[in-house]
Amino acid sequence: MKYLRLEVLKLRKKTRSWLGPILVFWLIMLAYPLTIEVSPKNLEIGFFSVLWIAILLSMMFATEDIFTEDYNDGYLEQSLISETSFSYLVGLRVLIHWLLIGIPISLLGFVFSLGTTENLSLSLLILPFAMMSSYIFLNLFVLGNSLSLNKGSVLGAIITLPMALPVLIVLGKSITAIQLEINYSGFIFLLLGSLSIIIVTIPIVVSFIIKAHLE
Amino acid sequence: MFQVERAYKFILYSSLIIYIVSLIWGLLFTQEDFVQGNSYRIIYLHVPASFLSQSLYISMAVASFVYIVWRVKLAAYLVISIAPIGALTTFIALTSGSIWGIPTWGTWWQWDARITSTLILFIMYLGLISLHSSFSNYEKADKLLSWLAIVGAINIPIIKKSVDWWSTLHQSASITLTDKPSIDPSMLYPLIGSMIGFFGIIISLVIISSKYQIFLREKNKSWIKEYV
Amino acid sequence: MHDILIIADNLSYKINENRLFSGISFSLKKGECLHIKGSNGSGKSTLLRIILGITSPTKGEIKTYVKKNITYLGHKNALKSYLSVEDNITLMGLSNHKDLKEYLEKLSLKELLDIKVANLSYGQQKKLALLRIFLGNTNLIVLDEPFVGLDIENQNILSNFLNKQLQKERGIIFTSHINCDVDSKTLKID
Repeated sequence: MKYLRLEVLKLRKKTRSWLGPILVFWLIMLAYPLTIEVSPKNLEIGFFSVLWIAILLSMMFATEDIFTEDYNDGYLEQSLISETSFSYLVGLRVLIHWLLIGIPISLLGFVFSLGTTENLSLSLLILPFAMMSSYIFLNLFVLGNSLSLNKGSVLGAIITLPMALPVLIVLGKSITAIQLEINYSGFIFLLLGSLSIIIVTIPIVVSFIIKAHLE
Repeated sequence: MFQVERAYKFILYSSLIIYIVSLIWGLLFTQEDFVQGNSYRIIYLHVPASFLSQSLYISMAVASFVYIVWRVKLAAYLVISIAPIGALTTFIALTSGSIWGIPTWGTWWQWDARITSTLILFIMYLGLISLHSSFSNYEKADKLLSWLAIVGAINIPIIKKSVDWWSTLHQSASITLTDKPSIDPSMLYPLIGSMIGFFGIIISLVIISSKYQIFLREKNKSWIKEYV
Repeated sequence: MHDILIIADNLSYKINENRLFSGISFSLKKGECLHIKGSNGSGKSTLLRIILGITSPTKGEIKTYVKKNITYLGHKNALKSYLSVEDNITLMGLSNHKDLKEYLEKLSLKELLDIKVANLSYGQQKKLALLRIFLGNTNLIVLDEPFVGLDIENQNILSNFLNKQLQKERGIIFTSHINCDVDSKTLKID
């Protein structure tokens, strides 16, 4: 709990790093209708693809410098020699980023979805998918960025994007299933299952990677 | 070292000969395919390359695992030696596939499962190479590279499965170990020959590349100075 | 054996096959201080990081009996430049420490609590970072050039503090090219 408070203390003063990604998401969602001829039918066709890609991109921005600052100012070394387990700290930091960025974006996604499809039950279903996928994306990008720590986020994104593809595919399939009114619960469990594996493994791998960086 | 030198020359030349013989056999002395005409003959390049592009990645991941767990330095050299060759092989597989696609499918690119996952494999190779080259401290680079290779190795089957699930157009693999081959024997033998030859060429390329790595990294060691 | 904090045996370190140092052996008991000396680039900081367990030596062995009970200040001060002095103290987990007031006064940081760290001078930042050491309560203290940037008065505060810690049976390892009065044995590396 204490660490949660401390992390929030830092992020409170770094508005850019959590508001930025949310704004990016918002901009993409606003820009989308402008690029096609406006008619409800047209908008609906590509809407969900744009939604998922917007979530993907904003999570990419959200993790851009998740460790850079702490690496440069020596904070990571202090965390490493502290009594708390380092992988736990990494996991916590990802969680906080999700709470501050992933959740608002999911809610925004719900609003945009409601506005576009005017279908409440569909839009409500979007919410768990958006929340889970944003958490998965965050973890994946954290992995990529920890590998390319201090070497720019482009490299990190290149490394991570292929890993995010399966999630995008599952998301696409689930929307089709929902729209065709086929049983979609399997997709929820699939995402939930991969999320629970990722939540445990990625912080451990990332902590090893960061230790290698500090060496 | 001198034995290695001789062995590798032997592998290189013999596999080159095998590959060229199979190519000539395959290109000139086999029949036209009933459906695809002459264009199928690119399989003597495409099939071995696609096959090896994945095997190389797997061997890289195994070497990474050996390096992470047992700290064997040679394993790390092997990882970074394989990466560019893997990228090259994957590139050959992709381009030859595209060339084959024009007459067969009428398009040089299809977003189908196997092409897409091969493209991703290619991107992963490039990611590995650029990650390694972005560090000046070799040991750090080795460690990070190994981690990425292992994570990638877990991911590749997942990506493959999911892309497969997403859509499939590609014809299924022609040779499997268990089933009877769905390809005419007269085409099969040169194909096997070309695979063996290609395999040997790639192996010798890996040896050259590892030799270069060892020289680069151990250049201060006395035995290298004597050798050079 | 109970008194021993650290035993290092024949440590050596290489970067890209270039040797930084080799054959370093020492031991540190409770109440002892080790002053590591060496020219620039001789690997003093690396040796400290090996002691901390952040870096692993290329060869040799190091045993520490103070696992995770260490305070450390390296040349990166781990301060957040966009936060105020007070927030940084909170971030270090020291905001409720009983001696905080005393040391804020001693180091004349008390008037600076609301100021952003980015606006402090180098010496002031150093003093703020040293709070970690002054208010820490660990068996081992590791310092990388702690006297750099401090004026004579504050150097004395620090060396007095360190001497007092030695009486409390704590172990100290530091590097410094500034001469100071801390009762220490010297380890030269080249």
